[in-house]
Amino acid sequence: MNKKLILLFLSLFYCSTLFAQQGIFDEANTLFENGELNEAMALYRFIESEAQVSGALFLNMGITAVQLDSLGLAKYYFLKAQDFETTAQQANEALEFVNSQFSRQSAILPKLPWDRAVDWINDEITAFGLFLIGFLITIAGLTLLYLGWFDKLPLKKTSPYLITLIITGSALAGLAFYADYVNQRYDEAVLISNSQRVLQQPEPESTLVSIAYEGYDLTVDQWKSEEHDNWLYIRLGNGQFGWMRNEGVKIF
Amino acid sequence: MEAPNMKKIGKLNQFLLLLTFSLISFIPGFAQDVQVEATLSETNIFTGEQVKLELNIHGTSMGSVQQPELPEFDGLRWLRGSTSRGTKYALINGKPSVTYTFGYALIAQSPGNYTIPPVEIEVDGETYRTEPISFEVLDPATLDSGEAERAPDIYVRIELSTNNPVVGQQIIADVVLYFKNGVEVSSYQPTPGWKAEGFWKEELEYPQRAQTSSTIVNGVRYQKARLIQYALFPTKSGELTLSPFEINLSVRSRRSSSDPFGFGLNQERMNIQSTPVKVDVQPLPNLENAEFIGAVGDFKITRKISNPNAFVGESIEIITQISGTGNVPLVNKPEYKLPESLEKYSPQETSAIDRTGRQISGTRTFTDIVIARNEGTYSIPETRVAFYDPQQEEYVIEVLPPLSFNAERDPDVTEITQNNLRFDVKPITGLAQWTSMKATPLHQRTLVWIMIFFPILLTAGAFGYKKYHDRMNTDTAFARSRTARERTNKILSEAEQTTDIKLGYHLIEKTLVQFITDKLNLPPAGLSHNDLILHVEKLGDTETITELKRLLTKCETIAYAPNTSQEALDKDLQKTRDLIKKIGKLS
Repeated sequence: MNKKLILLFLSLFYCSTLFAQQGIFDEANTLFENGELNEAMALYRFIESEAQVSGALFLNMGITAVQLDSLGLAKYYFLKAQDFETTAQQANEALEFVNSQFSRQSAILPKLPWDRAVDWINDEITAFGLFLIGFLITIAGLTLLYLGWFDKLPLKKTSPYLITLIITGSALAGLAFYADYVNQRYDEAVLISNSQRVLQQPEPESTLVSIAYEGYDLTVDQWKSEEHDNWLYIRLGNGQFGWMRNEGVKIF
Repeated sequence: MEAPNMKKIGKLNQFLLLLTFSLISFIPGFAQDVQVEATLSETNIFTGEQVKLELNIHGTSMGSVQQPELPEFDGLRWLRGSTSRGTKYALINGKPSVTYTFGYALIAQSPGNYTIPPVEIEVDGETYRTEPISFEVLDPATLDSGEAERAPDIYVRIELSTNNPVVGQQIIADVVLYFKNGVEVSSYQPTPGWKAEGFWKEELEYPQRAQTSSTIVNGVRYQKARLIQYALFPTKSGELTLSPFEINLSVRSRRSSSDPFGFGLNQERMNIQSTPVKVDVQPLPNLENAEFIGAVGDFKITRKISNPNAFVGESIEIITQISGTGNVPLVNKPEYKLPESLEKYSPQETSAIDRTGRQISGTRTFTDIVIARNEGTYSIPETRVAFYDPQQEEYVIEVLPPLSFNAERDPDVTEITQNNLRFDVKPITGLAQWTSMKATPLHQRTLVWIMIFFPILLTAGAFGYKKYHDRMNTDTAFARSRTARERTNKILSEAEQTTDIKLGYHLIEKTLVQFITDKLNLPPAGLSHNDLILHVEKLGDTETITELKRLLTKCETIAYAPNTSQEALDKDLQKTRDLIKKIGKLS
């Protein structure tokens, strides 16, 4: 009885949180329609800081940023909206527009097939999804093994299948951990300030590697960046690496 | 044909200049600007060495200048009859000027430190005085002639203004060339790429470089010339080393034994380098209640706002100027607490650096660019910034007063609305689909660890059970041992239910025999009680043996014990159970 009450209370609390969030979102949309863009953006940011987010929220934030003439920020929000099925198409259209507005465009080095595969795992099926697939395949192989042990199936005949299943399942589980490691270590980011110097070392007087401009896509090595406060170790779209001050960089 | 003409013109010019001076000198009230100067060719002189004292009288108009009489002074003796005289006319910035020069040959007397007193010079009836000149007369006998011979003909060294600066303090590094008399340096070329690791380096534009002066080093007279001058600013504390400075020279020296005719000069190219120089850089003291902007020197810091009344959306500049002498190129931008609602852009910075003279000076300008997107008054609070003054050896804190500006909407500009967008993406209104973006790493999920260990434990369990199952089917002794307890429990249950005491004890005997033979893998029949006791004795527990003997004896003699009660049987049944447990553990 008590358990049911707790469950009911939690459900009500969750629903009330969502209703409150939806209410603030509606209020922000009204402010946006009235042209009070800074106020609308402040409310959108408040929702973003809460636990629940949505594609619509990020899309509207992107449009607000475009109207505030902050294209780098707009790109960041449209990229976030792109991750949601409901807003992916509109976010793509918006990104096409925003990218065309930047005065400087970065050369983009295509990713290696292996990196693309890891990105696909993280974006489409997630590391946990792949791990679950690996687990189920492994369990299937082990079930065949147990049946063979207890003479329910002829072990000699099934052994090639069970070995294949166990190895494949374990390899997929291992791959899931690697994809998760990549996901945790490297983050995508967008430069939203006008320009930033990319240096060889995390020191202001260090040799200049390149200059990144507003809207440039960056890959941030979070683990290496933790070694120096206020600095990020980044990879530019053209494959160059270096250190950059963390000001004006929005990380996903 | 052109040369004679040129000569004629030269004479004409000289004549015109003389005429001009003559005319000017006779104009009454023409302002005289007379400067007198005395110079001594050497200030460190060996006894018996000859030096020259020159008196220069310079002015725009001078009627009559009399030969100055030298005052009496010790250390040098005037060689009378060796006096020279010269006159030089020039037009400087369109104004004529004349310089009279009187030279006096002097010979050094006894060793010691002396001073040539001011020399009085009379020009057009007025008396002028030169500055006194100090000099030292050295005794050549006290010098180590071996050391003089070993001294190199030419060398270069880096001479620093100080060897103990603080971080950021300017040091002057002079690259000075020393060469002996008789060596003539016709050209020099510094090797590019001199590294001053740990320093910010600026080359000074010093107009009088490469002028030679005479000096004595370890008893050897050298000519010294400052070739290049750098301003160095240490960027870190600790012992830093300036790497050797390398220079290519074209040198001419007089031939000695190899030139039998004694004429001609021997020209050669050579490469020389200085020795490394160590600098002990001291750290800056701690600072509280102000922001240190990295400036070391003497600075003035100002801050202003470009437009105190701006329109919404118009860019506003907060301009900070840091001017003065010191490490101007290394000065950082002060950080301001700008209102959150302002849109901030990357600050711009410009520098105007003056490298002339012996101090780097200039202005560093930082411009913060902000845009107000809403109407209102915006304030930037007071800021305390500090620079370090190495002369005073303390921080100087400048308080920048607060700034504010108003932003108003421009009535001539139509507000941007959604319809003005150049793309068709519309904002989404209404119900949104809310979701959590939190992604926990795999290794932090309990479920993942359960899913990893579950197959391992399951497989270990299944394998163990398979082994047990196989052994039960193939190993009779193992199977009898494993099932002994189960079978004896059945017999004991039967004994518990019976009311016949004799049958009860018979079943106890049967249980014990069954359990011991199964557990110890003994033949199920044909063994006496003593045989069983002997086998159990091998397990070693005397208490167990005693109890076993008592129970078996009681089972044998129960027919002769008519007074045995049901309670005694129940107690013995319990003891039998305990005994079976003990034997089970021993085996």
